[in-house]
Order: sequence, then C-alpha cells, then structure tokens
Amino acid sequence: MQEGTSARQEIALRTDGRGRRPDSARLRRLNILVGALSLPLFIGLWELVSRSGAVNMVLFPPPTVVAAAVLEWIRSGQFLGDLLASLFRVTTGFIVGGLLGILLGILTGQFPVVSSLLSPLFHILRPIPPIAFVPIVILWFGLSEAGKLFLVVWGVFFTVWLSTHIGVQKVDRGLIRAALMLGTPRRQMLQEIVLLGALPYIVVGLRTAVSISFYTLVAAELAGAFAGIVYRIEIAQQNLQTGQVMGGLAALGLISFAADRLFSALAERTVWWR
Amino acid sequence: MKLALASAPASVESARKQPAIQVSNLSIVFDTRRGQTIAVDRVSFDVAPGEFICIVGPSGCGKSTVLNTIAGLEVPFEGDILVEGSRVYSPRPDVGMVFQQPHLFPWKSVRRNIAHGPRMLGKSRTEANAIADDLIAMVGLKRFADAYPNTLSGGMQQRVAIARALANQPRVLLMDEPFGALDAQTRAVMQDNLLELRDRIKATIVFVTHDIDEAIVLADRVLIMSAGPGRILREVAVKLPRPRSNSVMVEPTYLSLKKDCLDVIRAEGLRAFNQSDAS
Repeated sequence: MQEGTSARQEIALRTDGRGRRPDSARLRRLNILVGALSLPLFIGLWELVSRSGAVNMVLFPPPTVVAAAVLEWIRSGQFLGDLLASLFRVTTGFIVGGLLGILLGILTGQFPVVSSLLSPLFHILRPIPPIAFVPIVILWFGLSEAGKLFLVVWGVFFTVWLSTHIGVQKVDRGLIRAALMLGTPRRQMLQEIVLLGALPYIVVGLRTAVSISFYTLVAAELAGAFAGIVYRIEIAQQNLQTGQVMGGLAALGLISFAADRLFSALAERTVWWR
Repeated sequence: MKLALASAPASVESARKQPAIQVSNLSIVFDTRRGQTIAVDRVSFDVAPGEFICIVGPSGCGKSTVLNTIAGLEVPFEGDILVEGSRVYSPRPDVGMVFQQPHLFPWKSVRRNIAHGPRMLGKSRTEANAIADDLIAMVGLKRFADAYPNTLSGGMQQRVAIARALANQPRVLLMDEPFGALDAQTRAVMQDNLLELRDRIKATIVFVTHDIDEAIVLADRVLIMSAGPGRILREVAVKLPRPRSNSVMVEPTYLSLKKDCLDVIRAEGLRAFNQSDAS
C-alpha cells in the first residue's frame, strides 16, 4: 500500500514539473502581494475620501484622526480600565455559561428523563436573542455587574448546552458496546467513553460561544455601564467623538479576533487524538 | 510465551462433561411495526472448550444476533445460554468480543486501548501496560504501540481490536464478521494471523461470517444457518489438519467440504425462492 502511495506522489510531481507548478507559484506570489497591500490600500483610500471634502469629516474622520483618538484613549488610562472591564465580563460569563452548558448538556444527553424535563424549555428559550432580555435584565439587576454577566452567561449557555447534548447523544454506540465487553462498569461509562466521545462537539460549541459572548457583551454594555469598550463607544457617540467611536470598534474587532484565535489554538490541543 | 491467555481444559473428560458454550432452544423475537418477527428460531448447539466454530449464513439470518446474545448484549430471548456453565445476562469479562468495526477508542493509543480491559478489571497501569505490550508483539504492531487508531489501516485497527479483546484473557472469544470490511488481500493475511494466534491462546472461538471459504479455513466445525427465521440447517465438521493456513483452500478435502456446504446453501436458497414464488 505504501508503494502505491509513493508512486502516486511521483506521478503528481511529474505532472507538476511539466508546467503546472510555475504557474501556480506565480499565482501564489501574486496573492501574497495583494494580501499584503489590502490593509494599506484600504486605509489610504479612506484617508483620501475623508479629506477630499466629499464627506463630512466630523462624521467620517480619516484614519489619522482615529489613531490620534486611540492614542489619547490609551494615554488617559481609560483604555486599560475599559479593556479589563469588558474582558472580565466576557471571560467570567463565558466560563460560567460554558460550565453550566456542559453540565446540563451531559445531563440531558445522558438521561432521557432529564432531557424530557428540560429540553422543551430550553428549545423555547434558546432562539430568543439575548439582546431581547436587556429590558428585563435592567429591571431585575439594575445597572449592576450581575446583570451584564447574566446576559453573557445566557448567550453562551444555550450554544454550549445544545452542542454538548448532541455530542453526548452522538457518541458511537459501538464504542459503548466495546467498552461493556471489556468490563467497563456502566457507572464509569460517562467518564471513560461518553465525555471523550462528546469532546469534539463540546469544543465546537465553545468556539461558537466565543463570538456569541462578544455579541452579548455589546448588548450588556449598551444597556448601561460605567466602563467597558462598548460603553466608551457609546459615550464617544454622545459627544460626537467619531474618531473615538471608530477606534473603539477597531479595538473590539481586534480583541474578539484574538480571542477566537487563542481559543482555536486551545481547541486543537484539547482534542489531542486528531 | 509470557502470557497464559486462557488455560486449556484440565482434562479431556472434564471437557466432555461441560461444553464452553451451550445454547439450547434459543429464540429471539423482535417487535416491529407490523407485529413480531422471529429473528432466531429454536437454535441449539454446543461448543467444546478450545473449539473454533464458524457460523455462516446470509445477511439477516440472525447469526450476529445469536453472537450478541451469547455476549450478553441482546437482552430479551427465550431458551437457555450457558457460558462456562453459568447463565448469561450481561457482558462478562471472560467473554471477549471483536466486532465488524474495530470500535477502538479514538482518544487512546494502541497500548492504552489494549490496556483498557485489564485497567477496568482493577489491574495497575504498569500491569495493564505489560499485558498490552505482550499482545502488541503478538499481533505484530510493536512499531505502532503509541499510535492513535486514526493513523492505522483497517487491518491494523482490527488487529488492535483482537488484541484488546484478548487482554482480559477471555475463555470465550466471539467474533462478528471481524474481517468483513477488509479487502481480499488483507483478509487472507488476517485469517492466517488469527489461525496462528488461535494455536497460542487456546480460547474457545465463535466466529460469524457470510463467507464460506473463510468459515472452512478457520473452523473446526461450521454451522450453516438459514434466513427468516434463523435456524441451523447443518453442521459440517472440518477435518483439515492444524496448524492450518489460508492455503488449504486448494486441497481436495477442502474442496469437497466446500461442495457439501454449497449444496446445503443452494437447496435452502431454492426452497426459499419457491416459497416466495408460491405465496
């Protein structure tokens, strides 16, 4: 079988050598070049349009003004406070919602009685966008930190619950039969087989929940806060500091991008056998 | 051999007293939407300790169901099943099973997969790993001890599955079309491997297949089953010398045995055909 593979590789190499390779290499180099130019080109164009007089510079400030606003934001020390406040909400909400989701997903996935009890309720609550809960959260929690955590937890929980539930249900019955034949006690089946079998699904659910936690963070901070990236965006909007608004958006984008990358790197290590 | 996988019967006499497996009047009825279907109809057979029997039959004849019942995986049945003299209600560690799919634990290395059984029976990690390493050598996978199942070929995965089933030193090994998903070449190699392994482990083996050649090559005795409802049509004793290999397939004795089997199967096929024609 190995011989077959190497022969196939050889054929592949030869056809490449016959002319396809230089072409694809040139194309790849062009792509890299275009990719490197993408951002500078976009920012340059933005600067030009802003300063051309065709648009209102107050409402559509050029990147240089945005950069100055961001620098000022950082220098004033407010940025660090905002960043920490937002990160605290996102991570705490993510961890609490994720743990609850995994726990209940295992329970509903593994025990039909629990599923009959909770799944109908969860399926009704799950499609309601977390933002719709802002009014009632303000009634319940006022402007406290608990209300903001509640929103993030709510958003994260259902995604993680559903993927864990499905993961547990989809665990290969054959693995369970094999484990039974090898003398695995039924009460150890959860830790030996089910949890690990569901792990790939749980990780996918958690990864989706990373971006959901940022959506809900926006709703939570718009509902009234005293610090936070989105809170700062809102304040800047009220003061017509458009540069600061755009800087805030860029910061939010960067943070959630970094969070997603970090999590996908972690996820790859979690499912170690792939 | 470092490993005594299953002790051979103490004496021929005690072996005669107690078969390793006794199946008497086994019937299995499935509830379906259109009522009840008799999957297995009053099947009886004995397997002597250390004997290797093959059950052949068309797909859907209930041969896998019979095997699952002996394993304790198929719960409701009528009749009686005794393994090593005691009734079977649930899976038990002295009965090992190899399925058509390897069903290896994807998150465990080859060694950990094989060590799983001994670990579950309370052996220490060191002991379990030692058992696993012996078996890994026995199935010729030393280089892959630390590999994960998804990096192995189908044949290698099935070898791991066999080693894993042997790790608890079962007195009875049940095999449900274990080579059914493999290509012809790999299959022939696996049959030879199993014959070799079998001479060393001395466990009682019940092997289910739909391939008559495979059955005759491997077995001491072949049970031929019919479909709908599953019944045993005929028992054929395979008097081919051991140690045996896949190459017995060209011997005259082999060919006449195969002809006997084919005659039974053809007669049954004809009967089923005429029946369906008449109804």
